[in-house]
Amino acid sequence: MGPSIHKTVDHLFRHESGRMIAVLSKLLGLQQLHMAQDIVQDTLLQAMTTWPFSGLPDNPAGWLHRVARNKAVDILRKAKTFKHLQPELQHLLQSEYTLSSTVQQCFEEEEIMDSQLRMMFACCHPSIPVEAQMALILKTLCGLGTAEIAKAFLKEEETIAKRIYRAKEKIRSEHISLELPGFPKIAHRLTAVLHSLYLLFNEGYNSSLPEHLIREDLCEEAMRLTYLLAKHPATNGPGTHALLALFCFQASRLRARLDDEGNIVLLKYQDRRRWNQPLIQHGNYYLELATQDETSVYHLEAAIAWLHASAPDFEHTNWKAIYHLYSELSRYHPSDILLLNKAIAASYAIGRKSAINELMEIKSLDNYYLYHTAIGEIYFDDGLDEQAKQCFQTALDLTTSPAEQQLLRNKIRACKGTSPG
Amino acid sequence: MLIFQGGLKSDASPSEMQANMGKWMAWVEKLSKDGKYVSGEPLLPGGKLVSGPASVTDGPYTEGKEVIGGYFIINASSIDEAVVECRQYPDFDFGGQVQVRPVMAMDM
Repeated sequence: MGPSIHKTVDHLFRHESGRMIAVLSKLLGLQQLHMAQDIVQDTLLQAMTTWPFSGLPDNPAGWLHRVARNKAVDILRKAKTFKHLQPELQHLLQSEYTLSSTVQQCFEEEEIMDSQLRMMFACCHPSIPVEAQMALILKTLCGLGTAEIAKAFLKEEETIAKRIYRAKEKIRSEHISLELPGFPKIAHRLTAVLHSLYLLFNEGYNSSLPEHLIREDLCEEAMRLTYLLAKHPATNGPGTHALLALFCFQASRLRARLDDEGNIVLLKYQDRRRWNQPLIQHGNYYLELATQDETSVYHLEAAIAWLHASAPDFEHTNWKAIYHLYSELSRYHPSDILLLNKAIAASYAIGRKSAINELMEIKSLDNYYLYHTAIGEIYFDDGLDEQAKQCFQTALDLTTSPAEQQLLRNKIRACKGTSPG
Repeated sequence: MLIFQGGLKSDASPSEMQANMGKWMAWVEKLSKDGKYVSGEPLLPGGKLVSGPASVTDGPYTEGKEVIGGYFIINASSIDEAVVECRQYPDFDFGGQVQVRPVMAMDM
């Protein structure tokens, strides 16, 4: 594939599909989401059947918008009722004089952004379960197909289809519309949106699932949508900026987290020259914007990520500050995963003995491979190779990810008294 | 003449369509670069079959596999060479087929 063409078409369909579905849902009403999706599908099919013959249009996005716009105008002209629409829009769409120009206006850049924002809030409506929220976001705003979402979440296609179906049911039964909630309700609703994006990013970043350890697409989408929130005056609060900063810092390490063979490279051994400096700088910028009166868990997590990103090497990382931040975090919402991270930080900040003590107090992570890996690491550093080996072996039995398994096998091999191979 | 039949998956996801489009564009680009591409047109779905002045029916080829999506005219010295060019046809994965037909050269 020629690089020029690849670049133009790359992500174009997916992103424009998300943008057009948002705009069309505003025009037709969210209750007609299905119709909006059909229009976009038809539009993309039309592009697919003509572009190979006519060549790529000069402005591919504009071409798609024009086709979708015309289809929307046709439908709106025939439609008799405009229930669930914003009243001012309803009025403009009912008159033949203003119909076309109003539709056209909705496809202006600023309006598209506004529609996407509204769509995000609708997808994260409190009556929709969080798992379904993420699936709906990916389907409507990110242009991912059900099969692709299923692949990303490592779930059956049917499971995802059901989640999306139920979310759409909620949109109907709860009469969810594309209204942006007013103040002060928006603050509460924004929390839900940020949470869903946070989970989406983690889903892409986390290593607990086998294969495709880092699913960059999900990370990218979460970042893209958070960036939209950061640009809008109604949603660009400290929490949004802190979350975006966190994403930037984490994403800066994506390329260094796996080696060329797809094996995991731990933070300790990562080539810091492979960290994406522009992204780290973006992170610094948003973290600075986030520094206001309000503090959220995203602030604490972003600060931890920042300490890692700004450390010259592993040994010179400010582990004491990181330990302190984890302590703070575990006060916000105590979870054993947090305590695990805190204990790992303790082993560098305080000492291996207190780290082991902290680890031994965690009760619920017996089936979590990273728990045993962490204990094994500390034994290994203490020269207790036999105990370390046992922990690594337990961890090995608990993970299904080939990359993680490879990493653990290497660790076991490094223990003394292990025959090579 | 390469006649493209079937292969259109109407429920493809945006990325699938995008990937498919990329392949089509790359194929056309290659044919053009090699000086083989002459022309091509997409066909809209649907049509009429006229089998007599009073016998007009819908079709033919309105269903899935039969739909002719369009055609290319390419330069090839033999039908075998034209067949070889079809290897890059992007829609095999979707069950598409290519009819390769020699166009008679009319030297006047």
